[in-house]
Amino acid sequence: MRPPRLARDLDEMNRNVRRGAGAAERVRTARVRVWTRKLHNYLGLSLLLFLWLFAVSGLVLNHSMWSVAKFWTARREATTERVIRAPTVTGDVAIAAELMRQLGIVGEVGETRRVPDGGRFDFQVVRPGRVVRVDARLDSARARVTEIRLNAWGVLDALHKFTGVVMDEPVRTRDWVLTRIWSLAMDALAVGMVVLVLSGLYLWYRLAEKRRPGLVALALGVACCAFFLYGLGVLLA
Amino acid sequence: MTEGRSLYRWTRDIHLYVGLFLSPFVLLYAVSAILLNHAYLPWGGMAAAPVETRTVRVSVQDAENSLDVARQVQRQLGVRGEIGFVSRRRGGPRGGPRLSFPIETPGRTTSVRVDLATGVATLERKDTGAWDALIYLHKMPGPHNATIRGNWLFTRLWGWLADGTVYLLLFLSASGVYLWTVLKADRRSGLISLGVGMLSFMGLVLAVIA
Repeated sequence: MRPPRLARDLDEMNRNVRRGAGAAERVRTARVRVWTRKLHNYLGLSLLLFLWLFAVSGLVLNHSMWSVAKFWTARREATTERVIRAPTVTGDVAIAAELMRQLGIVGEVGETRRVPDGGRFDFQVVRPGRVVRVDARLDSARARVTEIRLNAWGVLDALHKFTGVVMDEPVRTRDWVLTRIWSLAMDALAVGMVVLVLSGLYLWYRLAEKRRPGLVALALGVACCAFFLYGLGVLLA
Repeated sequence: MTEGRSLYRWTRDIHLYVGLFLSPFVLLYAVSAILLNHAYLPWGGMAAAPVETRTVRVSVQDAENSLDVARQVQRQLGVRGEIGFVSRRRGGPRGGPRLSFPIETPGRTTSVRVDLATGVATLERKDTGAWDALIYLHKMPGPHNATIRGNWLFTRLWGWLADGTVYLLLFLSASGVYLWTVLKADRRSGLISLGVGMLSFMGLVLAVIA
């Protein structure tokens, strides 16, 4: 049997250890909260302009009847005839790249089209706000170059969709370095938004008094999205 | 002073609740943006095999508006959803009059082809999957076929939600900037983050468009 004095001392020691561990836990939690808040703030601030660009351009894309969305009708076109040398390379993208070098055109190669007789090769070079169409006659060493320029709304629209790849055309790849960098920025924004959401959820969860009303707001958002993603399918089945 | 504090608290609370409501929408747009940016669809999509093919006899009243004709057929088929586009071919030397259109919902597409001379409609339904549903919602209502877009109530509802998401995101970012400016301790580092973000944005946009 343990002497009463020793038992009391042991109890006191255990309590102190628990208190110490609790305090350390609290400090750790507070530190995580502070760093999460900093991450939330600084990430949000650094992504601000990117977010505004995609938000505003997304809104305009969804309202093609708005006057600002009718930028295509306000485009400016200029056509010139140029002399070219027939490329010695093979492959559509390689031929386009060679002709682009000769013509001093920079951008992402879009559609390419080769007429079966081999003499005609058409392609498109795209960069946000500018589209260049090249109709090349390889047999007569001439090319008709049409440059289309769009206004600021056209630039916004193009930046929203400028990925260099198309869902239905898996063979198409990004061939301009700036398309790759821009698509990387798009990925960074998307991942950044996910981090903002997760850090926001954590910060909310640490606020005990806001949990219940917050849960209502979150549940409402989840219900709306889940309804459109899954609920409609169930409803229509 | 008290007024300022009260404005700060109100803004902080609204920022919190609006942010929580928007969280799933932001995740939906972010995940689908990554899929679109890499032209990557993990499963399904339009390459999925049809889960149902059937033939139905329909009676169609001729109308000038192709959407009206497609809607008549849709009602008789009993398939609900958004008519994506309508392709109508009047009769000619290459064949009789035909009508084709897809009926779309998130994760499901039913392609309809109608021989208007015989009144026979052929349906092919594909379940395109959850990832495709994300992409579909990301692109809806979108800029294409604006004259017929929103011919289904739920597309109109989603369009309003998509608009609301943008307006609320703009509010969230503006209120976030306000909340940051009130916190004196974070101003310096915040300014650096804002500056770095602005410079990289301007530099990148100018490089891409110049």
